[in-house]
Amino acid sequence: MKTLLATSVIGDARLLAGVERGRLDRQNHLWTHGAPPDLTRANYQQLCEAVGLKGRGGAAFPVARKLADLPDRGVEAVVVNGSESEPLSRKDRLLLSLAPHLVLDGATGLARALGAPHVLIAVHDAESAQSMREAILERDDRLAIEVTETPDRFVAGEARAVLSALEGGPAVPPGRKVLPTRQGYHRRPTFLSNVETFAQLAVLARLGARGFSATGLSTAPGTQLLTVDGAVQRPGVIETPTGIPLDTVLQFAGAEPGPVLLGGYHGRWLSQPVPLDGASIVVALGSATCPLGEVYQVAQWLSAQSAGQCGPCVFGLASLVDDFARLLHGDVNGWYDAQRHLGLIPGRGACAHPDGAARFLTSALQVFDDDVRRHLGGGCGRPVLGVLPVPGGVA
Amino acid sequence: MSRLEIDWTRCDGHGLCATLLGAAVELDEWGYPVLRGREITAGEGPDARRAVLACPALALRLSRSVNR
Repeated sequence: MKTLLATSVIGDARLLAGVERGRLDRQNHLWTHGAPPDLTRANYQQLCEAVGLKGRGGAAFPVARKLADLPDRGVEAVVVNGSESEPLSRKDRLLLSLAPHLVLDGATGLARALGAPHVLIAVHDAESAQSMREAILERDDRLAIEVTETPDRFVAGEARAVLSALEGGPAVPPGRKVLPTRQGYHRRPTFLSNVETFAQLAVLARLGARGFSATGLSTAPGTQLLTVDGAVQRPGVIETPTGIPLDTVLQFAGAEPGPVLLGGYHGRWLSQPVPLDGASIVVALGSATCPLGEVYQVAQWLSAQSAGQCGPCVFGLASLVDDFARLLHGDVNGWYDAQRHLGLIPGRGACAHPDGAARFLTSALQVFDDDVRRHLGGGCGRPVLGVLPVPGGVA
Repeated sequence: MSRLEIDWTRCDGHGLCATLLGAAVELDEWGYPVLRGREITAGEGPDARRAVLACPALALRLSRSVNR
């Protein structure tokens, strides 16, 4: 695992305010952000509706709707999903490590407003866990706050897999589709969201709807955290206003020209810059490496990350690895088989892992069409540089 | 009206559903069911219920479709 990357800010620093000096302890946190206000459930509901706050874990589900779906009483827990199992993303562990009190303000404020006795924080890495445990000791929240380290596997970060792990079960998604707001922690109503969402809630609670909307898009105001990586001069986490053009981000980070991956290993390759649209990961591939070779390595990793529960995911992703290997070596049947297998996978699993992997690979075949032709004609002549990191190395 | 649902964590690709309900279910190259994704008609109801009961892995369900 890479250690923390650099942070930078375009426009207002909100979530990243003060972190350029390092981790914000309780004192520094209060100096930077001020004391958190005491809000009611109705306050949170109104605020989230007013600014259209969406979950920042990738699914972009409206927070106001999640709140409205909870019963009036009997909310068991507020769960902070800090698993961030997407290997390219660093933003959540950056918040947990550098701004733990902002995340805790968001989670405990909401837990109090909802009358939930438990705040549970699921993290994947020791550094985040330690930062959060230290922060909890510096506070006096009068809530049962617990930090749990869950397994570092792609699908272990899925919301229901996290709940299962927190209950002491296996960190895999269950086969039945249930909503955490109805049947969450120990089958009781639970508010679960991603780390950045809670930090945004803490900012929103302090600024109010009008202050929060002073930057960013009018339809989805505020700021967002982006992880920028790959063939760029300044990799790291950037806080920007929402709606910032992708071009600006790439220029700011000093990206080499070449293909761009948006949204990580469940995301998609771009043939031309598009609006960011809620994606939080931007990777520039550059032009020195073999794109299909890079994609092949990620395909191997995605296949190995399957929890092994669902047949179409297990067999489908393994077949795709084989298809891409043959394609790399110029076998046109690899391409045909890949197209067929990509059509067979989406929507046929307990979680979105097969869908995300298929999206990543489908867009690769579209965007790297020229490279596919070169490989079918004998190879592209470029080495695989490993611009796309694969946790645990290449098999 | 109702719809077939598969618990993918249970399904082991026995294939009985495709045998009993060929009009609504086919099998992919690994032997796992591919649902045609449409409503089960009233006429297919008995066959669909039979397929649900026959699944050795208890992975098939027939759910009333309620639009949430």
